[in-house]
Amino acid sequence: MLARAVPLILLVAAGVYLTVALRLPFGAAARPGAGFYPVIVAVFAIVVALVATASAFRGAPGAGAVELDAAPRRRVMITVVALVAFCLVLPWVGYPAAAFAFVTVVLRYLGGRWTTALLTGVLSSAGSYGLFAVLLDVPLPHGPW
Amino acid sequence: MGPLEGLAYGFSIALLPGNLFACFIGVLVGTIVGVLPGIGPVGAMALLLPSTFAMHPATALIMLAGIYYGAMYGGSTTSILVNVPGEAGSVVTLLDGYQMTRKGRAGAALTISAVGSFFAGTVGVVGIMLAAGWLADVAIQFGPPEYFAITLGGILLLSRLSGGSILNAFVMVALGLALGTVGMDSISALRRFTFGSVQLAQGIELVPVIMGVYGVAEVLLLAEEGIAKTQIASVKLRELLPTPEEWRRSTMPIARGSVVGFLTGLVPGPAAVLSTFISYTVEKKMSKTPEKFGTGMIEGVAGPEAANNGATAGAMVPLLSLGIPFSPATAILLGALVVHGLQPGPLMISQRPEVFWGFVASMYIGNLMLLILNLPLVGVFVTVLRLPQHVLATLVLLLCLVGAFSLSNSFLDLWVLVIFGVFGYALRKLRVDPSPMVVALVLGPMMEKTLRQALFLTRGSVVDLVARPLSATILVLAAAALFAPLLVRLVRGRGFAKPTP
Repeated sequence: MLARAVPLILLVAAGVYLTVALRLPFGAAARPGAGFYPVIVAVFAIVVALVATASAFRGAPGAGAVELDAAPRRRVMITVVALVAFCLVLPWVGYPAAAFAFVTVVLRYLGGRWTTALLTGVLSSAGSYGLFAVLLDVPLPHGPW
Repeated sequence: MGPLEGLAYGFSIALLPGNLFACFIGVLVGTIVGVLPGIGPVGAMALLLPSTFAMHPATALIMLAGIYYGAMYGGSTTSILVNVPGEAGSVVTLLDGYQMTRKGRAGAALTISAVGSFFAGTVGVVGIMLAAGWLADVAIQFGPPEYFAITLGGILLLSRLSGGSILNAFVMVALGLALGTVGMDSISALRRFTFGSVQLAQGIELVPVIMGVYGVAEVLLLAEEGIAKTQIASVKLRELLPTPEEWRRSTMPIARGSVVGFLTGLVPGPAAVLSTFISYTVEKKMSKTPEKFGTGMIEGVAGPEAANNGATAGAMVPLLSLGIPFSPATAILLGALVVHGLQPGPLMISQRPEVFWGFVASMYIGNLMLLILNLPLVGVFVTVLRLPQHVLATLVLLLCLVGAFSLSNSFLDLWVLVIFGVFGYALRKLRVDPSPMVVALVLGPMMEKTLRQALFLTRGSVVDLVARPLSATILVLAAAALFAPLLVRLVRGRGFAKPTP
């Protein structure tokens, strides 16, 4: 599935890229404009993505990628969901809360005990907030509280 | 400044307490990430890049490069003791290294690999001194057409050498080049591919992309395994000494590996990894008993371990003298210099000697530190392998998130990190190497700028552009490397038509 989806997605992206590139001023060979190089890149991208998609669909379905068992797949999915959730909630709940929730949830689902997960969550969010926001002056969002 | 004078000046810079400390932190972090499987030097360099913004450029370069070559020392420890490569440059080492451990010669393998790395590191530094100076003198005459040829030739070569199919490498290159065009056009100041986003006008930052494909993606691979226990062989201090016989057999492989490594480092491509395979093949061919390779031959450890260190040194040459990075690791070093307004290139050696010579001298010092860190203290580093992997994985993810945000306090960088993390994970599953994409992302804007300037110079004539002696040579060489294997196959197929066994 993955072996076919990735080149197909890239092919579509290359098509979108070309249509946008064509709308930029192309210029002439002696005075290349902002769209000159992107059009060349777009043509190259479409050709290689087309060949890659074709060869992926010619092979047996499912060739290339190794299928995962349910448990490892669940661990990866949960980690990815946690990453996305972190980015979504960070501006609203602030860094300390988001980091605590992220570490605790991921650690718990990767197989840690609740106590380890909670303790690591508290320590790592406090520690990293102290290091980055206090010592290095990074304006990490602190949330409504 | 001549090489000796320059080196003496360099030591006066590198021995400043702040630089010495930066060097120590760099090689220490490098050894640790080298020992830990799954977390490589490139991800670690990207993670620590923001912390160098406040440093002097020489200090930043010293620390980040220390991580890079330090990881080559650390990686072999895990290969030899655990039979898992600590990082990609140590894959070959485990073939014979782990077999030596099974025969009770782990200590000798560790010592030979550290001494070999040290020797190669030293040879590499001499190589940088000579080659970078010479190349910089030549490169002063380069104009946009030559730089265009070098970047284009470099990308083509890299696609050939990155392992796996050329088609996949080209797809990665196309993606990297396209990503490199996002943002403000450097010549006309027109916004391209930003879809109205103000943040995207700055372009897609390299560092969150690298943190994603080398940091987050590798942690996602670790997450598959959940809790994993590692079996670690223990080594006593007095077992570290190789026998005279082992020393004798290692001398030539180390010498050859150093040279092979340095030369491989000069060529665009995943030099550190590639050089170990080349060195292993060379040693096997030179050996009187090639059939014994894979059963614990010290030559199979000595050569490749020297080679990967030589390669990290060689890779510095195009970066320092041309300002062109051919690998993700040197791309980060370039990033660290550009942040400080420094443009590496042929003029940097003469205009900012403290950066170039300070860095070169620090590599001597760093290699000496690594020899001490990795031999008597090897046991200490092995204990990091006992850290629970799921805790480590989670903390690395958190560091990536906060690190990406702190680059420029932007939520966009955070999304770039996560998107490229997931994408990098998918690539790993498909066994596609993401490094052509990363290098193309860095070289793309250089290539576009030099192409447009060159076309302006030649009044739009592509023939004039490629017919200049140097650009023509570079492009012909790159094309030859790209198509040679194909031609060889064609000629062989027709000439011999050997029946396949």
